[in-house]
Amino acid sequence: MIRYVVSRLVVSVAMVLLATLVIFLIANTVPGDPVLTALGDMAASDPAQVAEFRARWGLDLPLWQQYWLFLQRLVHGDLGVSISSRRPVLQDIIDYAPATLELATVAFILSILVGLPLGVLAAVRRDTVIDHIARAVSLVGVSAPTFWLAFIALAIFYGQLNWAPGPGRLDAVSFPPDRITGLLLIDTALQGDWETFHDAAAHLVLPSFVLAAATLGLITRTTRAAMLEALSQDYVRVAKAKGLRGRRIVVGHALPNAMLPVVTLGGLAYANLLAGAVMTETVFSWPGLGRYTFRSAVTVDFPAIMAVTAIVAAIFVLVNFLVDMSYALLDPRVVKK
Amino acid sequence: MTVKDADATSTGSDEAATAEPTFDRRGFMVLGAGGLLAAVLQSARPAAAQSAQRRGTLVIALDISDATGLDPVRVYQYSNPLPTHAAYDGMVTFDPGDSVNLKPALATEWAYQPDGKTVRLKLRTDVKFSSGKPMTAEDVRFSFTRQLNIKDQPWQYISHIEEVKVVDPHTVDIVLKDPSLPLMTIIATPAFGVLEKEVVIANGGTDAPDAKEKDKATPWLNENSAGTGPYRLTGWQRNQQIQMVKNPNYWKGTPGYDRVLIRHMSESAAQLLAIQRGDVDVAFNLIPEQIATLKDDPNISIEGMTSLDFIYMAVVEAPTNPALQNKLARQAIGYAIDYDGIIKNLIGGKAVRPVSFLPVGVNGSTEALTKEIGFREDLAKSKQLLAQAGMPDGFKFALSYGNAAIAGVGYQNLAQKLQSDLARVGIKAELTPMDQVNMRTMYLGGKLEAALTFWNPPAPENWLWSSATINRVAGRVHWKVPDDVRKLVADAGAERDLAKGAALYKKYQEAMVDAAHHFVLIQPVYQVAVRKNVTGLKLTAAGWMAELGGAKPA
Repeated sequence: MIRYVVSRLVVSVAMVLLATLVIFLIANTVPGDPVLTALGDMAASDPAQVAEFRARWGLDLPLWQQYWLFLQRLVHGDLGVSISSRRPVLQDIIDYAPATLELATVAFILSILVGLPLGVLAAVRRDTVIDHIARAVSLVGVSAPTFWLAFIALAIFYGQLNWAPGPGRLDAVSFPPDRITGLLLIDTALQGDWETFHDAAAHLVLPSFVLAAATLGLITRTTRAAMLEALSQDYVRVAKAKGLRGRRIVVGHALPNAMLPVVTLGGLAYANLLAGAVMTETVFSWPGLGRYTFRSAVTVDFPAIMAVTAIVAAIFVLVNFLVDMSYALLDPRVVKK
Repeated sequence: MTVKDADATSTGSDEAATAEPTFDRRGFMVLGAGGLLAAVLQSARPAAAQSAQRRGTLVIALDISDATGLDPVRVYQYSNPLPTHAAYDGMVTFDPGDSVNLKPALATEWAYQPDGKTVRLKLRTDVKFSSGKPMTAEDVRFSFTRQLNIKDQPWQYISHIEEVKVVDPHTVDIVLKDPSLPLMTIIATPAFGVLEKEVVIANGGTDAPDAKEKDKATPWLNENSAGTGPYRLTGWQRNQQIQMVKNPNYWKGTPGYDRVLIRHMSESAAQLLAIQRGDVDVAFNLIPEQIATLKDDPNISIEGMTSLDFIYMAVVEAPTNPALQNKLARQAIGYAIDYDGIIKNLIGGKAVRPVSFLPVGVNGSTEALTKEIGFREDLAKSKQLLAQAGMPDGFKFALSYGNAAIAGVGYQNLAQKLQSDLARVGIKAELTPMDQVNMRTMYLGGKLEAALTFWNPPAPENWLWSSATINRVAGRVHWKVPDDVRKLVADAGAERDLAKGAALYKKYQEAMVDAAHHFVLIQPVYQVAVRKNVTGLKLTAAGWMAELGGAKPA
């Protein structure tokens, strides 16, 4: 078991480094020049100012040296300074990450709470109304573009019905709580500020449903497929023959065996939610990491791009690692092999 | 256990056994979840929206993602002049709607001294900073000197200042290295606001010659302000909001709102919904179609302000395209464009068009002058020019543009319109869309044949446009600027009499039309939606968008 864990960890670190190298090379091949987005028109045309700018940000060094410097800093936990925000990238990420983490986590919990039971029901009651409803829900969730879904949701539930609050994490006149974790729900709860807690929770409803839609669809479909397969296995037939109750068969026998693909998918889906909320964040004016990443890419902000890549790669690799570890717990055969 | 299970099966089918209890519980859960959702959403809004606190707060929706700093010496982007102008006053200012005549602000009078290179400014004596301390000449000297030594981007517009000297507590001298370059119009912009020396120093600031390395006040000034303006900065959560509170010591009288909140909303559709709902009072980034939907809203008025920004097509004397090296061929492009159609159809008529690189509204540029000496749609003349150029059947060129939209006008739509206009005289524009940053990189490198792009000025000073066109912008279009045009620009910049300056700038614009490198197509009249519960909010084209000082609840 320990050998398995260690070997997985080594591969994980290598994967993260490889991902940063690939992004570094891609970012350096586009013709866009970060100097032009960072300097105004007049400064960008002054060779002296451009040269000074390049030297200050290390952009005048050979490529391999730039990458080497990045790695050196990374080892020391220093992600560099963002060209476009002029602040340490780490500070930017600390500012933006909680908004994304909160949104993605609520969205993930939503998609599990709804998707998993819906998938199980759809499998158990195959070809009934509930199966069709589940299919329709997941089809819409997976195929509707997030951008469109976000606007529609905002226009109906905020613009027309006025059930939900508008874009942003809080109302205009709500004072944000003192920062402890940056997660509004937790910070307000810790400080006993229930009015702001309520406000933050209300602002989470629409964006988290929109963000959950695609994940929810995937989880529903995967759970259904895995359950159908599990339900057709011999041990289920044996259980039925033994005369076990239906719910016991479903929950006790079929479900644990159907969980493997769902756990894999769930892990990746959570990582995806953390990394891929750009559209939802844009429409809902959500000050999260997705917007930050997008802006970094648009302005060719190398330090920010590299840092975000490293972090996203680390999230994916970590989630994969945890998924693999949970396999070992769910299915002892994995370790024995 | 087995017994109990066996009992269960005898009561009915497999399905029924699972179905009944699950269904009940599910129904219960759905009800429970729905109830929870309702509880979360219920009453979260109305109470907050109607509170007195909300009425005392001016909420502005604006895309502030471009801002990198709120320390005046580093303010040079599009959105950050608005809060900076609300927090700081400069020596002089412009009134909304007038980009020609300077108005007093912290300085009551200013005049060039007999030596020709010193401007002496008399300061108001009744001005206090938001801290309550009086503003003096030393604060002015400190602010300019810090700016000159930090040398961030706004500095390059005043780098011809030799030094700033205190004459007495309410008089300062600005001494110029090069008195032929303009000054007062430039220092009217928010980057040259006056900061309270003591507060800046207490937070790590310095005006020493090594301030570029030693000044550490920027992080503090990004979230606080030390100025004399109507509002004081109290916080900036990047990509989220900028908070300000009123300055009770404001020298023009107590401001109308307790707080000002600038909320970041990058999506115009979100801004539209928010202003319709009343969650924001002012929406800056609405596109023409969205403005149209607000026309009948009884709670919202649409304010227009002719900006000093413009969209133009640059045509390069590209080594790759001999046709473009021919001035007559380039002029033929100028006469083949349906200028009125562009403004009418692409931006709903909400735009004007200057002669050339000086926007309508600054000294010596008017719409009437465009009719007099500017390009106009004249296909016969265009064909005649093509014949004179030896290309009666027209020519081809590549027109590049970024995947972006300015003032609601997509470059793609504009390029297609130009393509069909030019086709009428046989000129074929091949459209090459590209990523905005790549486009800019190629264009600034002089590597394109033609580009659609955008210009927005740091200050309403003619010389900033005219000197750009004969220097860096000339390089981008491979224009070898004739000496007489260079002299014209220098003379016009040095001219301190407005009327004489206007006459020189007319000649300059004629030269620009003759050279035919820049075809200015759209100078937008920005449309801003303001809820009727706000009065006194004046929009301005000078670069800081609006005067928040006069705004108050209706």
